[in-house]
Amino acid sequence: MHDRLLSPYHPGGSRMHRMPAGLKAGGAAALVVAVVLLPRDAWAGYAACAAFLALVAALARIPGRVLARRILLLEPFVLGVAALSLAQQGGGRVFLAMLAKSTLCLCTMVLLSGTTRFSDLLRVLWRLRVPALLVTSLALMYRYLSVLMDEAARMTRARRSRTFSAGRGLAWRGSATVAAQLFVRSSERAERVYAAMCARGWRT
Amino acid sequence: MHIPDGFLDAHTAVAAGLLSAAGLGVALRRVRRVLPARRIPLIGLAAAFVFAAQMLNFPVAGGTSGHLIGAVLAAVLLGASASVLVMSSVIILQCFLFADGGLTALGANLFNMALVAPVVGYGVYRFVRRLAGGGLRSTLLATGFAAWCSTVAAAVACAGELAASGTVVWRVAFPAMAGVHIIIGLGEALITVLVVAAVARARPELLHEPAPSDGWRRYASVAAYGLLLALGLVVFVAPVASPWPDGLLRVAERLGFAPRAVGPLVRAPFAHYAVPGLGAGARSTALAGAVGAVVAFALAWVAARLLTPRGARRAAEKAVPGA
Amino acid sequence: MRAGVADVNAVEVRALSYRYADGTKALRAVSLVVAEGERVGLVGPNGAGKSTLLLHLNGLLPERPSASPSVCVLGVPVAEPNLREIRARVGLLFQDPDDQLFCPTVWEDVAFGPQQLGVRGAALEERVARSLGQVGLAGFGERLPQHLSRGEKRRVCLAGLLACEARVLALDEPTSDLDPRGRRELKALLQALPVAQIIATHDLELVVETCARVVVLDRGAVVVEGPPTEVLADEARMLDLGLEKPHILRHRHPH
Repeated sequence: MHDRLLSPYHPGGSRMHRMPAGLKAGGAAALVVAVVLLPRDAWAGYAACAAFLALVAALARIPGRVLARRILLLEPFVLGVAALSLAQQGGGRVFLAMLAKSTLCLCTMVLLSGTTRFSDLLRVLWRLRVPALLVTSLALMYRYLSVLMDEAARMTRARRSRTFSAGRGLAWRGSATVAAQLFVRSSERAERVYAAMCARGWRT
Repeated sequence: MHIPDGFLDAHTAVAAGLLSAAGLGVALRRVRRVLPARRIPLIGLAAAFVFAAQMLNFPVAGGTSGHLIGAVLAAVLLGASASVLVMSSVIILQCFLFADGGLTALGANLFNMALVAPVVGYGVYRFVRRLAGGGLRSTLLATGFAAWCSTVAAAVACAGELAASGTVVWRVAFPAMAGVHIIIGLGEALITVLVVAAVARARPELLHEPAPSDGWRRYASVAAYGLLLALGLVVFVAPVASPWPDGLLRVAERLGFAPRAVGPLVRAPFAHYAVPGLGAGARSTALAGAVGAVVAFALAWVAARLLTPRGARRAAEKAVPGA
Repeated sequence: MRAGVADVNAVEVRALSYRYADGTKALRAVSLVVAEGERVGLVGPNGAGKSTLLLHLNGLLPERPSASPSVCVLGVPVAEPNLREIRARVGLLFQDPDDQLFCPTVWEDVAFGPQQLGVRGAALEERVARSLGQVGLAGFGERLPQHLSRGEKRRVCLAGLLACEARVLALDEPTSDLDPRGRRELKALLQALPVAQIIATHDLELVVETCARVVVLDRGAVVVEGPPTEVLADEARMLDLGLEKPHILRHRHPH
C-alpha cells in the first residue's frame, strides 16, 4: 500500500545492484563529502560529478523517469532552504552553488537507496561496530514501518467513515486518537515481539 | 527542518557530527542501563510509530496541514534518552532511505532534532510539571509548553548552524527559522498534548515515569546532555548571535587574562556583525519568541484544562461551567 | 495411538495451573500428553486458555519459573536452566505472523533462531535454505516481509522454527485469516511435517482433517479429549461449550 513511499529500492540485476553494499555506501559518502568540500565556484567540478552520476545511473539501469520523480519530490525542500541564502550580498552565487551541491548530493543518495537494500546497509552498520541497540532499533523500525502505517490508515478510514461533520477540531482530535491508539498497539506489539525473540533463543 | 547537503561547511558539519555522536553515546548508555530487556524492541517500534505519526494530517487552512515532529511526544512517553534514540533512528532512516536531510548534514540534523529537541523538551517538561504539581492537568500543561520550546530550540540551533557556515546570515536565518517555528511550535504543542491526553485516557500507565534515581549516574547523564547543548550553543549560536564573546573578551582583557586577538571558535564570516545581529531583525524575533512562549503556555494551559476529565480535576471552589 | 514402549513423550503437562496478574484462573490443573510425531488439536471457546497453555510449553510463562515445573518436553523439564534447550526444541508459532517475523528480510528471520544457537557460515546457509524449501518458499530469502501474503508470512515463521530443528511445534491459530488457498497449503504442510504438533485453533475442520486426537479446553480446564470424529461429533456438547459440530462431520462423507 505504501510501497512506493517506503521502498526507494528499485529491484534489478545490474552491476550496480550486485556491488557490495559497503562499497556503494562508502563511495556515495565519499562523493557527497567531495561535492560539499568543492569550492563554491568549482562549476567544472560540479559538471564532472554530474557526469559520473549519470554514468552510475546508466550502469544501474534505473529508468530515468523513476529517478527524476524521486529527485523532483525532494527538490522543493532544497529550494526552500537555499532561497534563504539569497538575502545577502552576493547571494545569487551562493544560491546557485547551494542548489548545485545539494542536487548532486541528492542524486547520489537517490542512486544509493535505489540500488541498495536497507537491510544490506544495516549489515554494513553492524560490521562497522555501530552499537547493537541502535542497529536493532533501525531494523525493527524499518520492518514495522509499513505495518504501523497500514494500521494508521485503517484507523483513519474507520474514523472518517464515522465522521459526519467536517470540523477541523474534530479532525485534530480524530488524528490524535489514531496516533494514541497506534502507540498503544505498538507498545503491545513490542512486548509480543520481545516474546517472539525470546522464543527463538534471543538473549540480551 | 532537515538541512540538505551543501548548506553547511566542513567545520560546522564535523562539529555537529561530533556533538551528536557524543549525545547518541550518552543516550545509548543510559537506555541500556535503565531500560528493562523486555522493552528493548519498543525503541524500534516507537521509532516506527513516530514516523507513522508524522504522516498524520492535522488540517490547518486551505489544503495545508500541520504535522508532528514528535521529539517531546516520544520523551513524555518513553523518557529523554529513549527519545534521543527514537528520533535518531527516524532521522537516520529519513536520510538514507528518503534523502530527507543530507548525509553530511546528518550530524547537524541529529543535533537539532534528536538531541536539542528531546533534551530541551524533556527538561522543560519535568520543570513545569514539578512547578505545576502532579496530576494529569499539569502533565498536559508541561507537555504542551515543552513541545513548543523544543521546536523553537531546534530551529534556533538550525539557524545557528546555517549562519556559522556562512550560508545564510544570522540576521536572516534567525528570524526566518525561529519566527516560523514559533508558529509551528504552537501546532506541535497542541498535537502533542492531544495525543498524550488520548494515551493517558486509554492507558495511563504508558506515560513514562522517571526511574528511581540511580544516584550519580542520572546526574552524569543530565550533565553530559547539558554540556553538549552548551557546547552547541557556544559553537553555533554564540559567535554569530550575541556580543557575549566580545563582552567576555573585554572583561577578560581588562582583567589581564585573555590574549589580544582571539578569533571565534568557528569560522563565522559575519561575526563582526554581532552587534547588528542584535539589531532590529533579531530583537523583534526575540520579542516574538517571548510572545510565542506566553501564547504557547496559555494554549497548553487551556488544552490541559479541557482535556482533563472532570473527575480528575480537584474539586473547585467555584462551580464548573457545564460542558 | 502411542507407539512403542519406553518412548519419551514429546510433551507432558501435569496438573498445570496458572493465574493472571489480576487473579483470574487461566489454567486449572491441565494435564496433557503428546507423543512423538503425534498431532493433537486444542480447541475451546475464546478465553479458554489455549494460548496461555501454549506459552507454557517453551517457558515464556510463567513469568517467574517455578521450582517444580509442570511441563516436560522430550523428557526435559521446562525450568530456568533448560530454557535455551527447550526453546530450541519447541517451536512456538504465534497467532500474528507480524509479531514473529521481526527481521528485515526473510533470510535473516529464518536464520535468527539458528544464529542464537551458534550456527554460522555454510551450515547456517544450508539450514535456512533447507527450511525454506520445506515450507515451499525456496528462493524467498531476499524478500521483504512486508511484501508477503499472510499465508507466506506464516510459512516463513514455520521455516524459522524448523531451522531451529524444533521437534515439537506449538501452533496458535495457524489458519486464522488465511484465504482458502493459504489454508490448503498450510494444512498440507502440517500433514507433511513429521514432528509432534499441538494445534490450538478454532478451525474445527482442520482438527478433523489432520489431528489424531483433540483436547477440549473450557475456562482453563480440560473438558474432554479423544479422537476428533467422536468428540467433535457430539453436537449438544459442542454447542454447550460455545463451539459447534464441524460441517465435515455433519454430512457423513466416506473419508
